Amino acid sequence: MIKLVGQRAIASLLSLSVLMVMVFFLSRLTGDPAALFLPIDATEQMKEQFRALHGLDRPILEQFGLYIRDVLHLDFGESLRRARPAIDIVLEAYAWTLPLALITMALVIVAAIFLGSIAAFNVGGVIDRGISVVSLIGASAPDFWIAIVAIVVFAINLAWLPTSGVGTPWHWIMPVGILFIRPFGLIVQVVRGSMLSALSAPYVKTARAKGVKNGPLIFVHTLRNAMLPVITVIGDQAAALLNGAVIVETIFGFPGVGKLMIDSILQRDFNVVMAAILVTAIAIFIMNILIDIAYSILDPRIRQ
Amino acid sequence: MTLRYLLTGALLASAAVSPALAQDNTAITVVLSEELDLVEPCMATRSNIGRVILQNINETLTELDVRGDAGLMPRLAESWEDRGDGVWRFSLRDGVTFSDGTAFDAADVKHSFDRVFSDQITCESARYFADTQLTFDIVDDLTIDVTAEPAQPILPLLMSLVTIVPSETPVEFVRDPIGTGPYVLSEWQAGQYIQLDRRDDYWGEQPEVTSARYVFRGEAAVRAAMVETGEADIAPQITELEATNPATDFSYPNSETVYLRVDSADEPTSDIRVRKALNHAIDREAFIGTLLADGTELAVAMVPPTTLGWNGDLAPLAYDPDLARELLAEAEADGVDVSLPVEIIARTENFPNVTEVAEALTQMLSDAGFNASMRMVEVAEHEQYYSKPYPESEGTNLILAQHDNSRGDPVFSMYFKYHSEGTQSGIAIPEVDDLIERATAATGAERDALWSELFAYVHDEAVADVLLFHMVGHSRVGERLDFTPTIATNQQLQLSEIGFK
Amino acid sequence: MSDSTAVKPVSQDQNKGASALLGMLWRDKFAFVSAIVLLIIMAFAIFGPALLGDLATSQNLRGRNSPPFDLSRGWIFVLGGDSLGRPILARLIVAAQSTMAVAAGAVATALVIGAFFGLIAGYMGKTASQIIMRLADVIMSFPSLLLAVVVLYVLGPSIPNMILVLAITRIPIYLRTTRAEVLEVRERMFVQAAVVMGASHRRIVLRHILPVIAPTLITIATLDFAFVMLAESSLSFLGIGIQPPSITWGLMVSQGRPYLNTAWWLAFWPGLMIVITALSLNLLSNWMRVALDPAQRWRLESRKSTDA
Repeated sequence: MIKLVGQRAIASLLSLSVLMVMVFFLSRLTGDPAALFLPIDATEQMKEQFRALHGLDRPILEQFGLYIRDVLHLDFGESLRRARPAIDIVLEAYAWTLPLALITMALVIVAAIFLGSIAAFNVGGVIDRGISVVSLIGASAPDFWIAIVAIVVFAINLAWLPTSGVGTPWHWIMPVGILFIRPFGLIVQVVRGSMLSALSAPYVKTARAKGVKNGPLIFVHTLRNAMLPVITVIGDQAAALLNGAVIVETIFGFPGVGKLMIDSILQRDFNVVMAAILVTAIAIFIMNILIDIAYSILDPRIRQ
Repeated sequence: MTLRYLLTGALLASAAVSPALAQDNTAITVVLSEELDLVEPCMATRSNIGRVILQNINETLTELDVRGDAGLMPRLAESWEDRGDGVWRFSLRDGVTFSDGTAFDAADVKHSFDRVFSDQITCESARYFADTQLTFDIVDDLTIDVTAEPAQPILPLLMSLVTIVPSETPVEFVRDPIGTGPYVLSEWQAGQYIQLDRRDDYWGEQPEVTSARYVFRGEAAVRAAMVETGEADIAPQITELEATNPATDFSYPNSETVYLRVDSADEPTSDIRVRKALNHAIDREAFIGTLLADGTELAVAMVPPTTLGWNGDLAPLAYDPDLARELLAEAEADGVDVSLPVEIIARTENFPNVTEVAEALTQMLSDAGFNASMRMVEVAEHEQYYSKPYPESEGTNLILAQHDNSRGDPVFSMYFKYHSEGTQSGIAIPEVDDLIERATAATGAERDALWSELFAYVHDEAVADVLLFHMVGHSRVGERLDFTPTIATNQQLQLSEIGFK
Repeated sequence: MSDSTAVKPVSQDQNKGASALLGMLWRDKFAFVSAIVLLIIMAFAIFGPALLGDLATSQNLRGRNSPPFDLSRGWIFVLGGDSLGRPILARLIVAAQSTMAVAAGAVATALVIGAFFGLIAGYMGKTASQIIMRLADVIMSFPSLLLAVVVLYVLGPSIPNMILVLAITRIPIYLRTTRAEVLEVRERMFVQAAVVMGASHRRIVLRHILPVIAPTLITIATLDFAFVMLAESSLSFLGIGIQPPSITWGLMVSQGRPYLNTAWWLAFWPGLMIVITALSLNLLSNWMRVALDPAQRWRLESRKSTDA
């Protein structure tokens, strides 16, 4: 297992390098940060000065070389907009994104596996239909729509919760609740589908034929076999959350990495974009390694 | 009710929201639309930064009166005089100290300007002095001579755009601005809030607000809701749609002008009849009270009516699609290819309803016989179309843009938008260049008359572009506060102007 | 073209008796209604722009945001008018085409590419698997927003480019799912038997492995439909997605957002269309999953007796 993780870590480091090189060159295809930092009436001289100050006037390969040199010294550059080390800005934001993503995913996983299994055991019944329809409506409703309606209801009309911001646990309820809806809707469906397939596998039928009713043993055994696609989808949804939740962050003024990323992309603040992608990518790679470990625990026949 | 009681208790216990809920004190919360990336004094003319620090933390030598018609008022300078040959003498206020305790003197003024013009940092205020060389001679601690080359008749007005920092300030962007203003930056939690506290040793009258916390929410609906629930006291910018409560919501002309920039070097808009047709094709009145707020005014100049040289005789070209079609037909008869595409390029999120405005304009142009289309682009791409060199296109692009001038003088607009060298100019007319240059150098009544003449020439003779609207903004102010927004509210929000009822 | 994933297997099964399948569909009322709804949306997508294109773009500023269920301006305004006074019903119908093109295009592209590489990664040796999976990691961590900005800035905003952006971002989910399933399936008895009997790789993959993993992929693909429509809406919301004069349901939702408090119907109807489409697709795919799986078909057949 340790060897496996070690190999994966090295391979992931390679992926990370490929990613960073791609981002470096692709992001620089998208225009000139000087025009965006400076006011529209800025003189060409001011723009040149800005480019010179930030090394943007050098040939792109030289810029790349300098960036690599700095990164090897763990220097990820300054933000063009904020005049602070890019990595500090990103880590501050990630300190908010990570708990938000983890709390949300933990709730989603528990709820989706529980309700998805119930639906599968009652296939075609009222409970199954109810869970499917409600979760699908939730998963396909626009999140900013739900967010604004939630603010009107819970913050203005009922005055139970603060409208937005951070600071107390109460501030987290609406962002977590809204982020919960979509992954829950998707995962509950995948759980239900996989459980159905697993329940019709020959050995389960045999067990049932032998008179073992829908007992905990069958549940655990079936679940174990149904988990492979479920874990993959959980990974996909968790990756989306680890990349930040732009819309929820924008609406609730939640200082996470999603809003930072979109702002930096739109402002062509390359160093922050690079640092943000580095941090989110590391989180996602770690999660993918965990998922692969989970695969091999669930099904020992799966070996890399 | 129990749940609500519990929640309220929990909220009260938290420091983060307590200023908003403690209604009896003099601390306020301001909710702004975009976060500050910097709190650098030399960037205070950028609106998101200026709203927090301008005149609150860092003050300027002079200040434009936007509430009355007192014109230019003293702030850190007590008086100024024109000594001829481009030299202005400023007498500085005595007994002023910075928040770090050091005294304010002429050396600080010189350093503040040196910083702005340094090539080690990119200060936004430098743009107002594009072609003017300034030299500073310290006469004594409280007197400074500023020499402008070439002579700058509105130098005292330009002084309202540069904030003063102590001479110890390094020539790099700072995160802890020191100023002479009534407030100090006491806390900055990036992404969450900025806290300003009143200082005791301010030179002027003590403002009523003792501390202000700035928070940032991108959604207008959320900003409005925060004032409604008492989580915030002022939301300086909300949208017309949210401004539904007459008791708390104000509308005010916000000094923004919306127009279509027309490139008269391009076919088919090189023909003046085509440019006139563009103007006649648009039913400007139809926008007001529908897509744009009531109170929006039709524009006949690039600057709002409160600006020097305002020409009250000008009237927008009347909505007359038949006339537009006739003009196009005439142009076509003379060999102009009026079937060339004209594409409206607009920026997403530029102002409320910008997409709908662009769609409606496109429809009106099509109805009048133009081969019109539209494209929404994000800010970086818009900038490429808006500023020279303009990209090549089949036919021509009409750039839907918004320009802000609350500074009182057209000089901040006219050169950029109409001079043949101006970065966003769509015309190159010697008469216009000449008028701009003469007006820029003139003073007093002559300056007033020359700007007035220029507005008329650009609008009636050159038909340089399609001027559309002077916009209004909306603010929501909590009922316990006594505050009315002004034309400058986009640029600055002086806490000292806020009182309690 | 919109829901080829949902309809094709039915036609493939014709020799087994399409009528039996239709009979099963008729018995599951949820699935039957879903199928009808999807056919109507298909019809909107195919014929809508030609029939209602002009009506959907005719503006009337003074009649903007007219409320729904008011027939005084004609049946076409039954769902109300939008912020430029255009009939929402006509716009919904016309927008079906580009919405479906984007969603189906992105999902189908991602599904095909992802499944193909997933099969290779799962079936071939360790090296191929490692390379493909680590490339998938790269795509998974490349922010879709940045990808959208790059593609739209360099290639320009258009529907094919939007499909490209969304397809690329959705590839990893299919790739990872396929690979994980293949790893498990290829160890099963019948696959091992086929290997021993000397069946070709192509035959093993296509005849033995693909049919087993297809149901999971189809469930994910139908769920992804809504996801992609909403992702497209979010990109429009952030100003880097599809922009007017193109129309999609996602764009209509995003344009209606400022009016949530004053004219709810602007964002509600297109949002409802997205929900209905997603719901129908998923109910139908849930039914298909059972109907097309010989091991599970008894569920539907046994229900026949209980229903009757």
